[in-house]
Amino acid sequence: MSKMFPTQEIGSLKKPADMLKKVKDPNVSDEEKIKVRNDAALLNIKTLEDIGLDIVYDGEVRRVEMYEEPVRYVDGFEFAGRVRSWDNKYYKKARVVGPVAFKQNFHAEEFNFIKENSKREIKVPVTGAYTLADWSYDEHYKSKDELVLALARNVVRPLVKDLVGLGAKIIQIDEPAATTHPAEMDIFRESINESVKGIDAKFVVHACFSGNDYKALAPQMPEIKAEQYTLEFANRDTWNTGLDDNARKGFHVLKLFKEHGFEGEIGIGVSDVHVNEIESPELIRDRILYAAKALGDPTKVYVNPDCGLRTRTREVSFDKIRTMVKGAELAREEIK
Amino acid sequence: MISSYTFGIYPRSEELIEATRKNTENLDSLFRTETEEYISVQKNANLGFISDPLLKWDDIFRPFSNLKSVNLSSLNRIYEMNTFYRILSFDGLELTDSGNVVQSHLDSSLPKNKTVAIPEPFTFTELHTSKQFKEKEDFIINLAKMLRIEIDSLVESGFEVIQLLAPSIAYNKEVDFGIVSDALKIITNGLKAKTILHTYFGDVSKKIESLLDLPVSGLGLDITTTPASSIQKHSFSDKSLTVGIINSFNTAIEKPQECINLVDEINAQTKPKESYVSNNFDLEYIPKEFAMNKISILGEIARGVKDV
Repeated sequence: MSKMFPTQEIGSLKKPADMLKKVKDPNVSDEEKIKVRNDAALLNIKTLEDIGLDIVYDGEVRRVEMYEEPVRYVDGFEFAGRVRSWDNKYYKKARVVGPVAFKQNFHAEEFNFIKENSKREIKVPVTGAYTLADWSYDEHYKSKDELVLALARNVVRPLVKDLVGLGAKIIQIDEPAATTHPAEMDIFRESINESVKGIDAKFVVHACFSGNDYKALAPQMPEIKAEQYTLEFANRDTWNTGLDDNARKGFHVLKLFKEHGFEGEIGIGVSDVHVNEIESPELIRDRILYAAKALGDPTKVYVNPDCGLRTRTREVSFDKIRTMVKGAELAREEIK
Repeated sequence: MISSYTFGIYPRSEELIEATRKNTENLDSLFRTETEEYISVQKNANLGFISDPLLKWDDIFRPFSNLKSVNLSSLNRIYEMNTFYRILSFDGLELTDSGNVVQSHLDSSLPKNKTVAIPEPFTFTELHTSKQFKEKEDFIINLAKMLRIEIDSLVESGFEVIQLLAPSIAYNKEVDFGIVSDALKIITNGLKAKTILHTYFGDVSKKIESLLDLPVSGLGLDITTTPASSIQKHSFSDKSLTVGIINSFNTAIEKPQECINLVDEINAQTKPKESYVSNNFDLEYIPKEFAMNKISILGEIARGVKDV
């Protein structure tokens, strides 16, 4: 992108309450439900565009959740039931009971709608093979490696290929599980490379922060066929403005990426998605400028929240994105 | 036949999950019914010791948030799992309380042959914080003192076996076993109950010698992460050995005869003082119907394994 410090979202936003009420109501017709979903998608797209985001999506408003949504449409899975995430929060977990296979492009409808309704660049989030495997019970394959690679080759690759065929130019492979198992980074690397093999698009990998601060990911980055990583930094950074190392504690690991020879782009998480407090534009600016210096090339810096914002209210989420866009503007002025 | 037990938090049914989310009127009766159901399935499986399914516990540390000195802090991932716990901040200097924190969170209808699992001090220090105790040694010793009071109360009320959950000992590459031993001494010295230290979430092959030196009655090992071949190299003549044979992280149901053969083989090599079989960690990582099935299978395995 020619613009310095392009801004983007990671993916999910909290769904509008009135949409959820209607789609769950058995008395509402299927036709009406389609309209309600389209309206919600349009609302998200237009809100993000009005705020000034450079790369948009629809807040994943049609998707149940990042794991359950794809698993519903893939052969070889059967839902087992719900398991706890924390406290009274649960997520559905599936068993792999046979060979996994792609049945249909389950993101086609949402992508086509966004393509028709936005003139901005579009980044399509797709759940990655490693995470799908890690969050499932495998009763079929002999090893985790085997399941991960089967998902990469037989599910994610055909899905991505189809999306690119429909016109998608940027695909973000979401891999929140990737960094939770530092010893399995080789499998993760191979899963991404197999997922994108032979497909002409810009690939972005989103990985959440885990205990080892991306230290296990860093050596793999140059070997993974991704042009950009969207990563979390804000949630362990200080809230003080400033460009010194003490103020920008959360961003130190950027230097490690460079040391390991990664020369691609980093979508830096400048907004903590786990708190309601809104970062100031000046704080965002300083985070961007620090990252630009650490990477040694401002054109490599993209700006996004740490992760999807679905756990925050819509008001807080849009305020955070708005401030992020302002912070990027301030950073551009500084670097002129 | 050998003895057996299941431990940790058990999964809630779909109905109970919904009820807890919506705080429905029948929530208490559902908790009651499902607790009874889990106690029954353990009894029917002829498990040697019966445990409370801890259905009201949000995580394995949460009852300790009722200690006067503790404040609830942020969510944190439990090692490599897709599950989170609340960090406890031990803000007071005096950690010990009434000694009734765990007891008051347990079901009172458990039979005489009952067991309970609580985290051991090292795991507490690794996963929680203290404003008062900056040195890890001070923190762990004070936690051990607090846990001893809790355990004394449990033993007094009839718990014969106390399971000490030690995921951090298994997961952490570096473990100061001297400190761990000092802390465990506080817990086990003169205790009129057996203590079994359960390691999971990591391969302890290289730590087994150190684990065998710890002042506990026995060790519980997760054979999905610590290979049987590593366990078999050691003598358990002074310790009991619990083989964590039931995998709480996969819905695939264990084949009883294969498990019986494996435990027989491990026991033949290690010659443990006493032999048990159990789950490898909390059953709540699988949905209820699978957990119920696996409890029954555990009983079948225990009945099939040769006496030691």
